[in-house]
Amino acid sequence: MKLQNIKEVIRIRLSQLLINEEYKSGSFKIPVHLSFGHEAIAVAVSNTLKTNDKLLLTHRNMAYNLARSSKLKPIIDEYMLNAIGLANARLGSMNLINRDANIIYSSSILGNNFSVSAGISMSDKLEDRQAVTFVLGGDGSMEEGTFYESLVMMKSLELNVVLIIENNEWSLGTHITERRSPINIKKLVDALGIKYIKLKNNNVDNYTNILSDVRTNCLKSNEPVCIEVTLKTLGDRVSPPTSNYPKGKYINYHAGPSTTVDISSDFYGVLLKESSDDPIYILKKAIGDKKFKSITNDIYKQLKSELL
Amino acid sequence: MKYVEYLNGIIKREVLKSNNCVLFGQNINAGSCLGGLTRDIKVNKNSKIFNSTNAEYSLTGFGFGLMMNGSHGVFFMKQLDFLLLGIDHIVNTYNIIRNISEKFPEGSFTIVPTVVDSGYDGPQSSFNNFNDLCSIARIKGFTVSNKSEADYLFTNQFLKPGFRIIALSQRLGKNEIILNKPPLNIFGNGELFHYKKGNDVTIVSSNFSYAQAEKLVCFLEKNNIDSSHFNISSGLIEDLSFIINDVAVTKKIILIDDSKSIQTPVDYLLTLLKDVDLEKTIILKRQLNTDWLNPVSDIFEIDESKVLKDLKSK
Repeated sequence: MKLQNIKEVIRIRLSQLLINEEYKSGSFKIPVHLSFGHEAIAVAVSNTLKTNDKLLLTHRNMAYNLARSSKLKPIIDEYMLNAIGLANARLGSMNLINRDANIIYSSSILGNNFSVSAGISMSDKLEDRQAVTFVLGGDGSMEEGTFYESLVMMKSLELNVVLIIENNEWSLGTHITERRSPINIKKLVDALGIKYIKLKNNNVDNYTNILSDVRTNCLKSNEPVCIEVTLKTLGDRVSPPTSNYPKGKYINYHAGPSTTVDISSDFYGVLLKESSDDPIYILKKAIGDKKFKSITNDIYKQLKSELL
Repeated sequence: MKYVEYLNGIIKREVLKSNNCVLFGQNINAGSCLGGLTRDIKVNKNSKIFNSTNAEYSLTGFGFGLMMNGSHGVFFMKQLDFLLLGIDHIVNTYNIIRNISEKFPEGSFTIVPTVVDSGYDGPQSSFNNFNDLCSIARIKGFTVSNKSEADYLFTNQFLKPGFRIIALSQRLGKNEIILNKPPLNIFGNGELFHYKKGNDVTIVSSNFSYAQAEKLVCFLEKNNIDSSHFNISSGLIEDLSFIINDVAVTKKIILIDDSKSIQTPVDYLLTLLKDVDLEKTIILKRQLNTDWLNPVSDIFEIDESKVLKDLKSK
């Protein structure tokens, strides 16, 4: 595993841990959606972007904004609505954009950014910019009609768009099985003649290699591609037992501070789950405990000094 | 020349002045080309015109995407009702763009819907409350009622940086374009047109009631009443001081709006006139019958003789 990728995943995790602590202390008036568990795909997408490429995000954009920005403080300042924030306190969290870092749009409306990405890609095509537009969505946003409408437009207009569906199986507090029949994305996009790729297991190097190939092929073929990434948004909790739920009720993390994640716990609490659901677990296994701790300590110190 | 033919000519001319523009919409380059509105439009080399899919929500987002990236999008829409599907974008997507407009290159997006206001199209094709739609998020929107307004709005708004909606009238589309005298003044980049200065009464029209107002002006003139006439093209206009100053002289006002809205631009104007000592206020708005949701005529007619009588009464 490449050292730079390892460092980036750890930096984004630690940055989110620090944001979570600020959040728990009541520093933010705005709603913030943490994205623990999304670090590997965020780093891979960031690695793949070239100068003219564009990235369109969702309300859960934190990992991507951190990946595209080398600094944590401007993001925290934005969340605190300080004028020196990344967007001068004009966008907050759910719509955070960083045009200098190719993040051209972030939408808090599910599915809203798919068609916008088609327009952006069309504009690049007219100007022959040799650019690819990457647009993020989730398993909730792909339920919106515009997902289908936008796919048809992208295919019909031969647009260089890579749709990345982060499938965490949850929409707010509702699991897929509680709200709808299963959707086979592969079959759906196959029906439109659009290529489908599945990513899983949070290996940032593998993700980067695949996305890089996808980008190259997308430019060559002038066709959209749909990528489904299976992941878990970490930071869940179990509510206190009640008569209906004697063992407590499982609550998937959606937004707000994650009360079960604690930076003062074992080794900054950086490892959240002992499985491939956690990108930190994957890289820790790859590089060994000693190296992992050394890198993590160094990055933690850098982040703390940045925030001083 | 018919209203639609005249607009088609202006659109063809303006499109050729622009580069990097994308014209899209359902059947804009096929069949009747929206009743002739988009017939035979040619675009420059790095521009594109295409018949789109039937996906109004996504097409609206597509237009904003073009604008965000510095291109010029134009979405021709067969009827205003369809734009109800795009409200999320004209509110939420546009809110982001205009909040940080300096961060985006100077692109543009113009939606050109036709307001189905000739009637008989049924309950789902009769939404004519254009200013209600624009009011929802303070969106710049203009109605085109005559040649002067067509000339000005398509020269100064169409394909120009930013976002706006330019609404056309299906009812007017079947008629000869109104060849009115050039306006005395144009305020707010086409939000308000001042057509006539008079001393006896101020007439203010909005939505697509210009034609009715013009007819009333002539009728009153024949009856020795000298009218001022303003037409509000955009309900977004906030500075109506020009009208208020005019009313301060005439002391009489006639307000005309042919939409089905409860709140119209002329109602807003009325609130601004609360401190003006008015001798007469006549409001001419639709009285909706119980059959207003049926496929019935959508013509808004004014009884000019009744208005004259009302105006002369104390």
